[in-house]
Amino acid sequence: MRDLYQRLTLTPEASDQEIKEAVARCPNSALRQDAETALAISEHRDVYDKLHRTVSDIGQLRARLGLTHGAHWQGDVANDFSLPPDNAISRHDELIERVSFAVLLHNRWRRFKGPWLLVALFATGAGIGLMLGLALGLGLSMG
Amino acid sequence: MSIARFSPFELLLLKSRSQVDTATLLLLAWVLVHRQQVSEGQRRRRLAQVTAQFRHGHELGPVMGIAHSQDLQAIQLAAEVVRKECSKEQSLSVLHQAISVATDDGEISLNNHYILCFLADLLNVTPTTFSTLFQELTGRPLGSVEDPSRDAYWQVHDPEYHARKARDAQAARQKTKDAQAEAQAEAEKRQRAHQEKQHSKQRQKDQARSERDQRQRHKQQQERARQERAQEERASQQERAKQQEQQRWKQEQAYQEEARRQQRQRERPTSPPDRTHRALAVLGLTPGASRADIRRAYRRMAQLHHPDRFYSGSEHQVALASARFQRVKSAYDYLMQHT
Repeated sequence: MRDLYQRLTLTPEASDQEIKEAVARCPNSALRQDAETALAISEHRDVYDKLHRTVSDIGQLRARLGLTHGAHWQGDVANDFSLPPDNAISRHDELIERVSFAVLLHNRWRRFKGPWLLVALFATGAGIGLMLGLALGLGLSMG
Repeated sequence: MSIARFSPFELLLLKSRSQVDTATLLLLAWVLVHRQQVSEGQRRRRLAQVTAQFRHGHELGPVMGIAHSQDLQAIQLAAEVVRKECSKEQSLSVLHQAISVATDDGEISLNNHYILCFLADLLNVTPTTFSTLFQELTGRPLGSVEDPSRDAYWQVHDPEYHARKARDAQAARQKTKDAQAEAQAEAEKRQRAHQEKQHSKQRQKDQARSERDQRQRHKQQQERARQERAQEERASQQERAKQQEQQRWKQEQAYQEEARRQQRQRERPTSPPDRTHRALAVLGLTPGASRADIRRAYRRMAQLHHPDRFYSGSEHQVALASARFQRVKSAYDYLMQHT
């Protein structure tokens, strides 16, 4: 399958009017006819768009998984939907990293006896507040 | 480092008793979502049926929801898990399940075709293995995927549209033809009217001119008659003598001309063979060569001496080649006309 949007320099969200103009502008008569049949009729376009979405998803997945040169990925599809492989770290590694970080935080929290720390913090805060209030009250009565 | 929230699928994976099974579950749900003409309940039942032996230990509902939202990151994560943890046999069984889920009713959707190919690549299954597996499961070979970005696909799947289009085109053609014919008729009518107008004008002019001419001629004739009558008597004797002399001279010249023409005609049949010989020699042929021979020889010579062959050479070489080519060509033209 070919990416007609890419070949007509459109986005998949293009309106019918834009498609009509792009088709009229297209210098290749075969491509013009194909695009007219596949995109100008709304039912055809729905079918095409659904497949286009799936295939471009697969193209992204293949780029991220390093499968852009797979045995089942050849011809027009591979030409139009392959993205350059990105070096983003794999989802699974990222997940493991995040889990380990969460575990680290949890352990630290446990080690410093988090709940007691919280109570102590609350007590000191309350004490300071009381002191300040007392001082303010004394000052007012004195004045 | 900021700690992002865990996505629903990540939580599912973390809680799962078997990560591979959860990941496979999502991929199968992804395939099921792209099945056509299947209700949601049927999908869910089918998924439960396929994954009866799985040990994931969580509900299927959230997995179905994630598959429906086509969450690319979740699918990527599942694919990574499957690739990392699946052994060879396991990967074949996963593909087996995916194919059976995709083709229960026999018809595989275009989306699923691409997804199955992706899974085969992901699981390191070669095309031959994949196609034999597919053949075993469905009884039909996995053809090449159809292409809705082409006109031919829609000619098969929506012939009505093409019939309508052909009808419209024909109607348009008919209309333009009618319009053309009308325009032509109109133009002809206009031209005829124009011509008639011109004719009538011309006729009027002609009449006026002829009347004037006649009057003049009449006057001249009268004058000439008067003069001639006076001169005739004087010159009649002299003229008669001169005319006789002139006639004799003319006859003589005509005779000479005739003789010369005859001589030229006698000479002509001798010269063309000579030229034919020379032309044949230019083409490297002997007398008696047939037209086919001449054509073949000309082709070869033209190829040999064509100036384009010397394009990379010097200007002098190109000029020489074009002179040779010209000679070959004129010889060929002569032979084609005279044999």
